[in-house]
Amino acid sequence: MAEPSGSQGSLRRRQGGGAITNRASSSATMLKFYTDDSPGLKVDPVAVIIIALAFIGSVFLLHIYGKFTRG
Amino acid sequence: MSWQEMRFQTISQETCEKEFVEPFMSILPEVTAPDRKVPFRQKILWTAVTLFIFLVCSQIPLYGIMSSDSSDPLYWLRVILASNRGTLMELGITPIVTSGMIMQLLAGAGLIDVDYSLKEDRALFNGAQKLFAMVFAFGQATVSVLTGLYGDPSEIGAGVCLLLVIQLVMAGLISMLLDELLQKGYGLGSGISLFIATNICESIIWKAFSPTTVNTGRGPEFEGAIIALFHLLITRGDKTRALKEAFYRNNLPNVMNLLATVSVFAIVIYLQGFRVEIPVISRRARGQRSTYPVKLFYTSNMPIMLQSALTSNIFLISQMMYNRFPENILIRMLGVWSTHEGSSQQYASSGLAYFISPPHSILDALKDPIHTVLYVTFTLSACALFSKTWIEVSNSSPRDVAKQLKDQGIIIAGHRDTSVYKELKRVIPTAAAFGGACIGALSVMADLLGALGSGTGILLAVTIIYSYFEMFVKETAAEGGIEGLFL
Repeated sequence: MAEPSGSQGSLRRRQGGGAITNRASSSATMLKFYTDDSPGLKVDPVAVIIIALAFIGSVFLLHIYGKFTRG
Repeated sequence: MSWQEMRFQTISQETCEKEFVEPFMSILPEVTAPDRKVPFRQKILWTAVTLFIFLVCSQIPLYGIMSSDSSDPLYWLRVILASNRGTLMELGITPIVTSGMIMQLLAGAGLIDVDYSLKEDRALFNGAQKLFAMVFAFGQATVSVLTGLYGDPSEIGAGVCLLLVIQLVMAGLISMLLDELLQKGYGLGSGISLFIATNICESIIWKAFSPTTVNTGRGPEFEGAIIALFHLLITRGDKTRALKEAFYRNNLPNVMNLLATVSVFAIVIYLQGFRVEIPVISRRARGQRSTYPVKLFYTSNMPIMLQSALTSNIFLISQMMYNRFPENILIRMLGVWSTHEGSSQQYASSGLAYFISPPHSILDALKDPIHTVLYVTFTLSACALFSKTWIEVSNSSPRDVAKQLKDQGIIIAGHRDTSVYKELKRVIPTAAAFGGACIGALSVMADLLGALGSGTGILLAVTIIYSYFEMFVKETAAEGGIEGLFL
């Protein structure tokens, strides 16, 4: 899904020295999330992983619970 | 005068959207950006953990489903949406991709006015994208539960129906957060492309090495092509017939399919290197020459993605209409659907849908040349067209690139600075259209050769893997060589 502008935008340097600046965004994709902060509920990345694992765990428990109640 | 009116209109639209999105902005979850650059090894770790969560989610079945063995209406879309039927990843990245595509098309078409240089606008745009993604996830979950995709809702009961919707929406939210986590710089690339590539590679590996046996009437046979090859060679007395069987068996993955897959992989990687290099000179650093590369695959895998989104939606609508009103002449013209032997999956057998769906094998393609010709023409032209459109939508059109170069004080060698745009306009649209058609042709070729995973799937997987490879090289170079990995 990588959109081209990231890799296209940067210039390949043939000779050293000098400063042709590469464009900042290296991975421009379909969804343009930016690294700067915007107002919102701040979530730590570790929290994201924990939420995901907790979710998986609870679905597991639901399955086990379902097994017992259905006999 | 009219210009001012127009401007006024867009402003009023904007404020309308602002009012709609802003109340939700404070409750939309947002991953905190890393406060300093994350080292490469940690990036790999984050990426691996994310991938692990995705893989687990795409194996755990949804709690509360009764049945999921009817014909799958989303069969054609599953490849590009990294979704697995009946699992927590049932929706996969559908909500994110749908909302992203719609918002970007709206922005590209100028229907919503986003100034990416304004921080406020960017935040609002992201917020709107996320909000829409959640709305889509909820809507799609509700619709698929209520239409009885997992069994009759009255039979399942209201409580379990609610649980199903909650599971689907939660999974959507989590995949959105994981994607954001990777994009904010903790990991490599984006969640969307990582999940798509993983999903496709998983199915290819599975079809090559699957140890499950299928009874085909001549005793049990292994599903995986490679496993089956050895199994047949060892058990059968007649070795040449065993080889022939392993290479050309019909209903299961065979070695020829695997070879086709590998060769398509190789061709795409070879073609990735094709580029036109425009010599440029920096005006700021005197006399410094470099090149601006325009790749053959300028739009990467976008054309095939859009083409497949288009055809799968046509299939979806046609299939649903046909099952509801099988006699209507207009609907029959759109597509007539029938099941193939041995599965409940429906395939188009005539009508428009038939002519834009790939032939099942080379033999089928030769038997019905009109179908083949129409299919090839449609795919190639659709890909070329989408590719040309995409450069406008995604801000990589000649005008945008010319502006970027101008901002960096770069001119094309041997031209005056006014002609940068002209030169780019000569190269970029041609590269985009031709590259799009090439991608389309490769996908057709993969489909005809019966490569494992559909042609679309393989092309998506290869282009994504290649971009990851490029990223790896860049990162390791930045960290001081490959040794940085192992220290």
